[in-house]
Amino acid sequence: MESAVVAERLTKRYGQFEAVRGIDFEVRRGECFGFLGPNGAGKSSTMRMIYGRTGVSSGTLRVLGLDVAREVRRVKRMVGVVPQESNLDSGLTTFENLALFARYYGIGRQDAARRARRWLEFVGLADVARVRGDELSGGMQRRAVIARALLHDPGLVVLDEPTTGLDPAARHAIWQKLAELKAQGVTLVLTTHYMDEAQRLCDRLVVMDYGRILAEGRPDELRAQLVGDLAVEVPSAWFEAHLGAGDGRVTPLLRRRLRLGATLFLYPQEGLASRLVEVLNGLPAAPRFLARPTNLEDVFLVLTGRELAAEGPAEGLRTARSSDGG
Amino acid sequence: MGAKLGSLPLPSFAWQAWRVWERNAIEWSKIYRTSVLLNFGEPFMNLLALGFGLGTYVTKLGDVPFAEFIGPGLLASTVMMSVAFDMSFSGFNRLHRDRTYDAMVTGPLNVPAIVGGEILWEATRGLLYAATFLLVLLALGLLRSWLAVFILPLAVPLAVVFAAPSIVVAAYARIEDHIFYYSTLVITPMFMFSGIFFPVDRLPALARDVIWFAPLYHAVNLMRALSLGRMYPGFWNDLLWLVVAAAVLLPWPVLVLRRVLDAD
Repeated sequence: MESAVVAERLTKRYGQFEAVRGIDFEVRRGECFGFLGPNGAGKSSTMRMIYGRTGVSSGTLRVLGLDVAREVRRVKRMVGVVPQESNLDSGLTTFENLALFARYYGIGRQDAARRARRWLEFVGLADVARVRGDELSGGMQRRAVIARALLHDPGLVVLDEPTTGLDPAARHAIWQKLAELKAQGVTLVLTTHYMDEAQRLCDRLVVMDYGRILAEGRPDELRAQLVGDLAVEVPSAWFEAHLGAGDGRVTPLLRRRLRLGATLFLYPQEGLASRLVEVLNGLPAAPRFLARPTNLEDVFLVLTGRELAAEGPAEGLRTARSSDGG
Repeated sequence: MGAKLGSLPLPSFAWQAWRVWERNAIEWSKIYRTSVLLNFGEPFMNLLALGFGLGTYVTKLGDVPFAEFIGPGLLASTVMMSVAFDMSFSGFNRLHRDRTYDAMVTGPLNVPAIVGGEILWEATRGLLYAATFLLVLLALGLLRSWLAVFILPLAVPLAVVFAAPSIVVAAYARIEDHIFYYSTLVITPMFMFSGIFFPVDRLPALARDVIWFAPLYHAVNLMRALSLGRMYPGFWNDLLWLVVAAAVLLPWPVLVLRRVLDAD
């Protein structure tokens, strides 16, 4: 069977601005595939093309075996969408929201009510079925929108920042539901700028920035390839005062290093982390420094030279990059 | 999982439009008391104050008692106002504040279905308001002819003529207050100068030429003629004007919403 999503040289332009710049990726059936990147990286534009909300500017995009450019109506019927904003109908109850949305798909009244109840149950909102959409908490609204995306038994569910702005408990509740869906065989495509979310949920992911894909792979694979297991953070002023830009004692121990503001991130070669810590401790006036396990944040740092939380796409950031990795 | 539903026929345009209508009907069923009260309070007070208050001084226009003269005009303006205000404010909320339209086009609906459903709904409301007002006129003894029942079907093109541009107003309004330009500069003058309270043939030619462009003017002529049972030479012209205007205005909100929503 064909992959769930296949994109070739996929591009999205808004006037002069190129939000997505000729990316290629493939989402396999049944997997959870993530798009990781800061705001403005082109993740949402990519999602909106996948679920047929906005046109493809150039390149090809096939979703569940269909060409989105040609068969957008059919694609919409087979894809479930959790948009970035929880846009529940504020005048209607949670149940009415879902039952009515099911009706939009051509589903009969009784079947629509049955589906609404079933998916409200699934996301744990059966108790608030009669509460108005705008009276739900942020986390409940999010769960209701997820339930709404499942009414028509989609084979693919696209989630644009499913847990942004939610508290930890609400995020865990949603992660658990997404894991259950995946176990049922539903293909999930999601965007996030949370490292823990990507690491926890995604089988594979791409890191996006400025409309391009910088890296692709399994979360652990990317981490192993790009940054290794351990990161050491030291004050950059102190480091440079004692060791300068390059140093015979430290440089051979490193696979990469990266300066971000006042902090220097050192990524030691495999097995040389303790040796690095020794050397650093032996330097005069050694400050307290942090040695910690790496995560996808480090992957993003070495790929882009900036923090994930930074807002893009400000062109100024591009010139201010300070990566001297490797 | 997807194959089961994906292989079903796509819902037709009519199905989609009626689902939008259904959405509005569900919402309205919860608030109709306030809605009816607000939309009826004002025209009903106008009828009482002007028809029976002022009407004791201005007793007749030609041979028609003042209350009988303004009754059908107030019916027409009630339809106009309820449709124009409801559609512009609700449309604004559904488009900009709640993003209901966005959710719809992200789902299986498209823009023509949304516009079709909204206009079907406003036509329903228009009919409902016309029917209720007609009963009030009947109870007050202000109807002279059984022909007045034909006022009901006329409420449909009248509602469409105001629903369509009201969606456009909603789409272009950046903040809710912008809608007041529409009500103050378009709706209120139309209420004053469409011949509800005085015959416009007494006005200067230029004023009459301007008023000819007001949809309400034609609706008032038609409804008054039916309520009094008096046909006049321009009756079919007025009817044609209203129906053609409704048909011409219909595609406008589709074009605008497609652009604003960036959707098909």
